[in-house]
Amino acid sequence: MRVEALLQFALAIAYVVLWVFMPAWSISGANYSISLMPWGYVVRFFSETHVIPPPTVYAVWLFAIGAGLLPLVWRRSRYSLYLATLFSVLSLSMLMDTILFQQRYLQFHGYTIAPTPNGYIYVSLPAKPTLGLPTYILLALTILSIFNVITRARWLGTRVIEDPIVAVERVLKVLHIEYSRVEGGVKVGGIKIIRRDDSLLLVNDHRIDEVDLGTAITEAVKVGLKQPVSVGVVDYGED
Amino acid sequence: MSTNPFKTTLLISILSIAIALTLIWGTAQTAPNLIRYSTLSNAPYIKVESINVTSNGVYIRLALINNGSLVFKPTGGWVEIVDTGQVVNVTVINGTVIAKPPLTPQWVSLASVGVKGIVSGVLNGSGAYIAFFDVVPIHVINTIGIADVSYADCVLNVTLSVDTVVPVVIGPIINMSLFTVSTPGYYVFETIGIVNTTVYAPAGSHNVTLTIQVSPVLGRYTYVYSCNYLSGFSKYTLWLPIGVTYMYPTGNVTSYTLLTKTFVVGGGS
Repeated sequence: MRVEALLQFALAIAYVVLWVFMPAWSISGANYSISLMPWGYVVRFFSETHVIPPPTVYAVWLFAIGAGLLPLVWRRSRYSLYLATLFSVLSLSMLMDTILFQQRYLQFHGYTIAPTPNGYIYVSLPAKPTLGLPTYILLALTILSIFNVITRARWLGTRVIEDPIVAVERVLKVLHIEYSRVEGGVKVGGIKIIRRDDSLLLVNDHRIDEVDLGTAITEAVKVGLKQPVSVGVVDYGED
Repeated sequence: MSTNPFKTTLLISILSIAIALTLIWGTAQTAPNLIRYSTLSNAPYIKVESINVTSNGVYIRLALINNGSLVFKPTGGWVEIVDTGQVVNVTVINGTVIAKPPLTPQWVSLASVGVKGIVSGVLNGSGAYIAFFDVVPIHVINTIGIADVSYADCVLNVTLSVDTVVPVVIGPIINMSLFTVSTPGYYVFETIGIVNTTVYAPAGSHNVTLTIQVSPVLGRYTYVYSCNYLSGFSKYTLWLPIGVTYMYPTGNVTSYTLLTKTFVVGGGS
């Protein structure tokens, strides 16, 4: 599981959880405010509060969760990343559409007029529109998912491995070569690679050689490929 | 590899885009049923409470009526009197809204006036304006009172403070009397019948003096017990039932009123 994909999932979860507590879009004023919450528009007018749920608002967070979850669930193909990007873009466009819903149907001109027994009352209600923090997280999620597509979720780079045995193990794991750990090293088929101080020892049936990391990996893979071929999974390896 | 990932992706993509488009369309379709219209109910309003026409000017009191939970605090505004064309700003004193246009000749001939205007203020922290129009009857306030009394050598001097919107003619006097405030009381003088002494006062605030020679000459039933204050009594009351003729442009109106004054004679032994 790639850290890059986990980060994408974390952003999606952060987005949805944060949204429960603060509006993704709001028009706020003293006696009138509209807040876009995951369950719809919460409209406050003096002492009244109404919830207006446009259906698109549910798609916003469902698509966002999909964009975060998909790369974790479907790791075989890079298409998973493509689909996740599509989901994040769809989530964003659903959010835009929901904001457009407000502009179209819940439009507010900054005042209200009400009749009185012998005239009328005009109340000025200035309101300021703001894009909330959750929306910025959704934008970040979309950007990250696009970036993950471009780099195949490998932009964090190769990690520096201090232990050469871990490096050997990593290669064997990726190639799905069966190996077993022995004291101070690994055993693949008939050979053992053992670490001694700063050098690596290649232990054969007959002899013990001091080798560098490259040779050790080559030898281990050579032996390993003689194993029966197993079908394994490499994260986002396939086209 | 059982399925082609490209095919799977394409299928899910088309499906999700279709869902998204359907939702957008559906939201637009259901929007008129989702939204809800709200308006202020029981909003505060302004009512013209009273219009008092006095010689100092016209006082228009505006009452603020708060029916609901919304609190309106007036800060200013203006009023126009439709019948006279006067436009004045209002003043807010301890939450009471008062407009004070100057007294013009038209006022004394009007029975009621239309008042329209706007009062600005703050409603629950938001700036608000209340517009109103009311037709309100006018109260003309004229006051006449006794300011000072002196009696010596059978001559009664009564200083009247006259505060009227129109010129007035004060008089005649019917059945006046001066008596001591004591138990029992003693008359100084007493007239039965009409004393035809009149005095004219122009509109506004003025002091005018009625001078009456109290003697049997005034009429048949005039009883003068003393030409000066009685010795041993310092507190007296003057009863002065009197006719007042208000000279309105529409015609004269005469009304009768009882003026009384209880006074203490300085240094009375």
